[in-house]
Amino acid sequence: MAIYDNAYSRFIAWLKIILPLVALGLLSTLFLFSRGIDPSQTIPYADVDIDELVREQRITSPNYTGMTDDGTAVSFFAESARPDPDNPNLLTAVALKAKIEAPSGLQVDISSEGGSINSTQRQSVLSGNVEVETSSGYEIFTERLTAALDGSLLETARNVRAQGPLGMIEAGKMVLELEDADSDTYLLVFKGGVKLVYTP
Amino acid sequence: QSAQVAFGGLQHDSSLPVEVVADQLQVNQTDGSAVFTGNVVIGQGTMRLSAAEVQVEYTSAESGTAGRISRMLASGGVVLVNGGEAAEANEATYTIDTGSIVMTGDVVMTQGQNALTANRMVIDLNTGTANMEGRVRTILQSGSNN
Repeated sequence: MAIYDNAYSRFIAWLKIILPLVALGLLSTLFLFSRGIDPSQTIPYADVDIDELVREQRITSPNYTGMTDDGTAVSFFAESARPDPDNPNLLTAVALKAKIEAPSGLQVDISSEGGSINSTQRQSVLSGNVEVETSSGYEIFTERLTAALDGSLLETARNVRAQGPLGMIEAGKMVLELEDADSDTYLLVFKGGVKLVYTP
Repeated sequence: QSAQVAFGGLQHDSSLPVEVVADQLQVNQTDGSAVFTGNVVIGQGTMRLSAAEVQVEYTSAESGTAGRISRMLASGGVVLVNGGEAAEANEATYTIDTGSIVMTGDVVMTQGQNALTANRMVIDLNTGTANMEGRVRTILQSGSNN
């Protein structure tokens, strides 16, 4: 190493040695002290059960729409639907929603947590917090509802609570059906003991 | 001729909630008309009106509000009980806002011992008076003398 006569040059000479060493040190920390890569830890895949998916067919967000001959549009939506293993015509669905638009202008929206659609019996059963909303201002809450696929009949299985222009209604059962086969006016009938509270 | 009678001594408040209990309620989804059938009982405060069938009429539904109930037409044998008095008739119309009940068809009203019959009776629940019209006949028990 050359000998310099003044301090400044010596200082620079020392720097030329120390600084690269420090740089080397910094570089090595990049590799030497890095977290150990644990090869056994799996990469976080979505934990969907692959073989369950393979074993059964599943339709995601299925959509069933139909138009009856008297012009009523019926449509069913769901998050996912699975055919029943032993009955191919029975579909069990999750978060089933249905919409009926009648030519008379009445619109009925039904939503539920789940349900099944049976194409042989031409009907669908919605269960779990079923909510029915009609364009005539009625909101009906029940646990189980059977809906005909052609939209001509809705029938609840157990008691019903409803809110509408008339006020708060509680009833044993509710049926929404056509007045008679060829008319297009729907009748909302509460049966099995009705209690209505109307505040003027 | 007509007779003015006190009916239902205590004050009736027609803004109390109206409660209707029946076997069945049918609502026509096109014109919104509602019919209660099967031993219908309309209750408001102390007043109970029971009938075989009650048709509900709205104020004009297009009047912006959700179509408030304006009248209830009870038919098929109506019995009205309010406080101590009871009245029977074939039909009755109860207008909620004005608190007036019009009973028609051989009306029989009993007040404690005495009874009155007429063709038509108009009851004003707020003032507690009943106005009976048409062939009013009263049967007054003059107290037992045995």
